[in-house]
Amino acid sequence: MGATICWFVNTMEKEAQETARGLRHGDPDLLDRLIQQYHYRLFRYLLMLTGNREAAEDLFQETWIRVLERGHQYNGKWRFEAWLFTIARNLAIDLLRRRQPQSLDALLDIHRNAIPLGLEAPGSPTPFDMASQSEDGEHLGAALGHLPPAYREVLLLRFQEDLELNEIAAVVGSPLPTVKSRLYRGLETLRELLEGGQA
Amino acid sequence: MTEDLHARAGHLIDAVQVEGISAADREWLDNHLEGCARCGARARATERALQSLRSAAFHIDPAVVRATQLRVRLRAQQLREQQSRMRALWVSCALSWVLGVVSAPLLWRGFEWLGRSVALPDSVWQIAFFLWWPVPAVVAGGVLAWWRVRASTEDGYTASLPR
Repeated sequence: MGATICWFVNTMEKEAQETARGLRHGDPDLLDRLIQQYHYRLFRYLLMLTGNREAAEDLFQETWIRVLERGHQYNGKWRFEAWLFTIARNLAIDLLRRRQPQSLDALLDIHRNAIPLGLEAPGSPTPFDMASQSEDGEHLGAALGHLPPAYREVLLLRFQEDLELNEIAAVVGSPLPTVKSRLYRGLETLRELLEGGQA
Repeated sequence: MTEDLHARAGHLIDAVQVEGISAADREWLDNHLEGCARCGARARATERALQSLRSAAFHIDPAVVRATQLRVRLRAQQLREQQSRMRALWVSCALSWVLGVVSAPLLWRGFEWLGRSVALPDSVWQIAFFLWWPVPAVVAGGVLAWWRVRASTEDGYTASLPR
């Protein structure tokens, strides 16, 4: 068992190092493969973050361009997806600052470093509505819409994207205890919202 | 059972998902859940909530993925061209400096000969030498700066490519 875990960790590290090497050289074939491999997860994260399909699509493209341009900064010590989500999150924050400068105060409020929603086009279905159309997501859309953004983000990174706690802390730029506390509170709130919806 | 035990079980149920628990805690929790319907229901509700979160599905337009791949390829090509141009320019710059240093004694003698043959005061041909000598490096530096400005303009062009 220990040997299997060791082999798995070594394989992941080797893969991350190879990715880092390819990114340093701006290898377009590698980028093609990475886009193919991570497009769904990145898009899902951006959609959940911004609540707006058009913004998510723009940010999706910008994120990959940034990955190409800043590829030399990825050192392979972290999993690639953690670095990818960090870039995507920073671009989303930049977009919000450009579109809603007044919401910066809200960013610095109790949910520090969380991205508030507010990019939804009026009348259009939000990603949470779209999620609720999925097979198992009967109440999920409403529940996600009611979750505070700070809780929602860490829950998604942990349980959808399977990031480690320290990776989540790096992505959202918050200390580990804060991330844990948000996860516990978010899980509690999500459970209550979903169970309440079913009652 | 006391409320403290239920509270502990509740915390452990969440901790299993959030950060993992020790084998001893796991054993205690399993024993507790066997005999506690309330905490069992909480554990099942947690599983359901996470299952529903993990199964949320979204659609991404394949055209967006293709357009992104194309845009990234174009940008990669552009960066490569910029890099090779810049490399050539840096080499030219370095060469012009090396040549400048190597040729300085010869140039000095040339200016000295010219100055004396037209009977100029020493200070005049010496000033002329110091004005003339850095010209190739300054020109190369100017071209380098111009290329950099041009490269940043091209970046702006890439950003405005159709998406």
